[in-house]
Amino acid sequence: MTKKAPNKLTIEHLRGSVLPFVLSFESGKKLTVVYGENGSGKSTICDALEFLGNGKVGSIEKRGLGKTNPYWPSLGKKPSDVSVTLETDGKSCRAIMTRSEVVVSPPDERPHVEVLRRAQILNLIEANPASRYENIKRFIDVSAVEACEDSLRESIKSVRQAQTIALTRFEENRQTLENFWVEAGKPGKETLTWAEKESKRDTSSSALEANSLDYLQKAYDHLKIYPIQLDSANQKLKTALQFLTKAEGDLEICVKGLASESSDTVLMLESVKDFLTLHPNPVVCPVCESKDKVLGLSKRVENRLDSFKTLREVQNRKSKAEQAVLQARQQIGTVKQECKKPAAEFEKTKIAVSLPKDTPLPKNAVPLELSEWEAWLKATAELPLAWKKAETTRRNNAQLIATLNKALTAYKDNLLTAKELEVLLPKLEKVIKIVEEERRIFTDAALATIANNVGELYEAVHPGEGLNKISIVLDPSKRASLEMGATFLGVPGAPPQAYFSDSHLDTLGLCVFLALAALDKPDETILVLDDILGSVDEPHVDRLIEMLYTEAAKFRHCIITTHYRPWKQKFRWGWLQNGQCHFVELTKWTPKDGIKVINSIPDVERLRQLLNEAAPDPQIISAKAGVILEAALDFLTQLYQCQVPRRPENAFTLGDLLPAVNKKLRTALIVEVMKTDSAGTIRYTSTSLAPFLDELERIAQVRNVLGCHFSEISFNLLDADAIGFGNTVLQLTEALTDEKAGWPRNGKSGSYWATSGETRRLHPYVRPS
Amino acid sequence: MSSPSEELAKKIASKLVTAKLILPEDEVPIATKLSEGQLKPEDWRLTIEKGIDAKVKA
Repeated sequence: MTKKAPNKLTIEHLRGSVLPFVLSFESGKKLTVVYGENGSGKSTICDALEFLGNGKVGSIEKRGLGKTNPYWPSLGKKPSDVSVTLETDGKSCRAIMTRSEVVVSPPDERPHVEVLRRAQILNLIEANPASRYENIKRFIDVSAVEACEDSLRESIKSVRQAQTIALTRFEENRQTLENFWVEAGKPGKETLTWAEKESKRDTSSSALEANSLDYLQKAYDHLKIYPIQLDSANQKLKTALQFLTKAEGDLEICVKGLASESSDTVLMLESVKDFLTLHPNPVVCPVCESKDKVLGLSKRVENRLDSFKTLREVQNRKSKAEQAVLQARQQIGTVKQECKKPAAEFEKTKIAVSLPKDTPLPKNAVPLELSEWEAWLKATAELPLAWKKAETTRRNNAQLIATLNKALTAYKDNLLTAKELEVLLPKLEKVIKIVEEERRIFTDAALATIANNVGELYEAVHPGEGLNKISIVLDPSKRASLEMGATFLGVPGAPPQAYFSDSHLDTLGLCVFLALAALDKPDETILVLDDILGSVDEPHVDRLIEMLYTEAAKFRHCIITTHYRPWKQKFRWGWLQNGQCHFVELTKWTPKDGIKVINSIPDVERLRQLLNEAAPDPQIISAKAGVILEAALDFLTQLYQCQVPRRPENAFTLGDLLPAVNKKLRTALIVEVMKTDSAGTIRYTSTSLAPFLDELERIAQVRNVLGCHFSEISFNLLDADAIGFGNTVLQLTEALTDEKAGWPRNGKSGSYWATSGETRRLHPYVRPS
Repeated sequence: MSSPSEELAKKIASKLVTAKLILPEDEVPIATKLSEGQLKPEDWRLTIEKGIDAKVKA
């Protein structure tokens, strides 16, 4: 976005501005040349713009002061007294100084300011390659793209790795299939066809058969328990019967030894015992009521009862033995009953459809009598081993096919991945090639543009010296390192620092600065060049100034400070393209008045003003017009190589110069003056200089009489003569020169001499012979 | 004025489209991510694969 041209800069108490200083910019002029002797305050103006744009004061940096902030305010002023204000149409931007920083308001209006000082001019040239890169990197810094480039390389690396892995696994899978094929006896023509066919085999029937065989084994195993259980029950019965027989024998013996009514007797004795427990000392026998033998009755009853104890024990044993026999018989019955179900289950499993046809089975069914099972089991004992083997075979077969399937799938997947990566990788490699190439082209082009711009600027100042072929290249072996070279004596790439003079290096430094500044939003940039003409050789100054005039047009505004006096004189005489230049002259700075401006205007303008005064002064007009006429004739006689008398220090008078423009030349001197109409069409109107020169030759004495010396003769001259002389000189000068474009010095056309922009074309090109 | 990265990113994205390495609809997103340094390895792969897939389908 183009920023508006500045109108006014106000500096208050910054550095040399002890009093508020106002620099008004001339409307429509993009270049302000601030001329002043050393110590007139030029650098303060530059400091003010840098303070506003960049928040610093560069002129006192690197002078061993350390932190320079304390020295920014004018002597005796506080930081809070400092302010710089830049006004544009209807807007202003003000910078003030706080204790620690520069505050700008509004921040959006803060101007973009680039400052180059004489002391910095060689910075870029003399800097090491890395520092040089730092200065230029904003134009070529593509680190964001470079980061993505690194990501791309990473992606390529990981794809390469993935491809290697896929190929390795593919080979492993292929080998696995090959092994399976070999193990299977290499059926068919080759591995893959066989593997494909095998993998499609239905493994569900094998699994079903294996399961049926498993059930058969389990059903068979169930049967084994029943003969054991029967045997155990029989054993228990046998033991119980033995106990019973013994108890019965013992009881018979015991009973024989006792009376037949012994049982009743025992009952009676136990009743008496119970009675005697309640009545331990009876008076009479409770049974016969006899008093005889009543003493010791209780003891005698107990003795008799003891003789019946063995009988009771034998009876108990017999009873238990009978119970055990009964239980054993019941258990045998239960086992015989329970074994029928697993027997039926086994018979059912035997005839299951899913059982392999070749399964070996018992010749006979499970015997109905459990007692025959043992023999039957013995006769069929080999069968479970065969069933287990058959089951294992079937299970291994299913497992094999599952593994084969897995290997085949992995083989195909890895093959597919490898093929996909085979397509992807070259594409990615193509992409990296494009990215690298584009980056290189872009960076080279950016550097070439900078180098070309530098070269063009340099050539404008030093035409034909053959030093214009500037090269700026990135060192490929070092990151962020910039080499600078120039063609010297036909040798390209020579470091300028090694071969260029100080003056040439200064120019080169300035050209680099201008070329870079012009690349970064020039229409928003206020360019400040502080006293940069210091060491430029005199022959090159005019071209440098012309170059600066041209370059200034690219920027929002350009301010050049200088103490180069000829610039002032050239401006005064309109030798330069003054059209876009606003010339400001500063007087000597004083602590009391600070920075002060005096007006400088070209002499032709001054003559015009004198002639327009209400009471024109003939003497002053004659003097001013005479000097201007001398300048015009000096220009013409030099341009056409006219013959003038030789004098020390080339002190020519009008009497020498006017006749030198002889009749032939005078007649031939035609100036085409450019006119642009309202529609923008350019036309030239021709004006002959001969009438002006003839008239001036006629009245030239007026100048000598009025404008140079005191002379009585002047008493007889009319004021109108002096004014006529002044007007004719003004007409001649207006025809010959353009106050904006200067004098017609450019002979590039080969047929006429032209001002900048060809606003004037002076004919002839050479003096007629 | 666009930054050098932005300018270069546009050129690269355009070249990749011309070389049929990425899809035209990916040109702007790729240029944006490139200029911001935001293209990760997986982004590159995905974008190029998209281009390959589209070619295969065509």
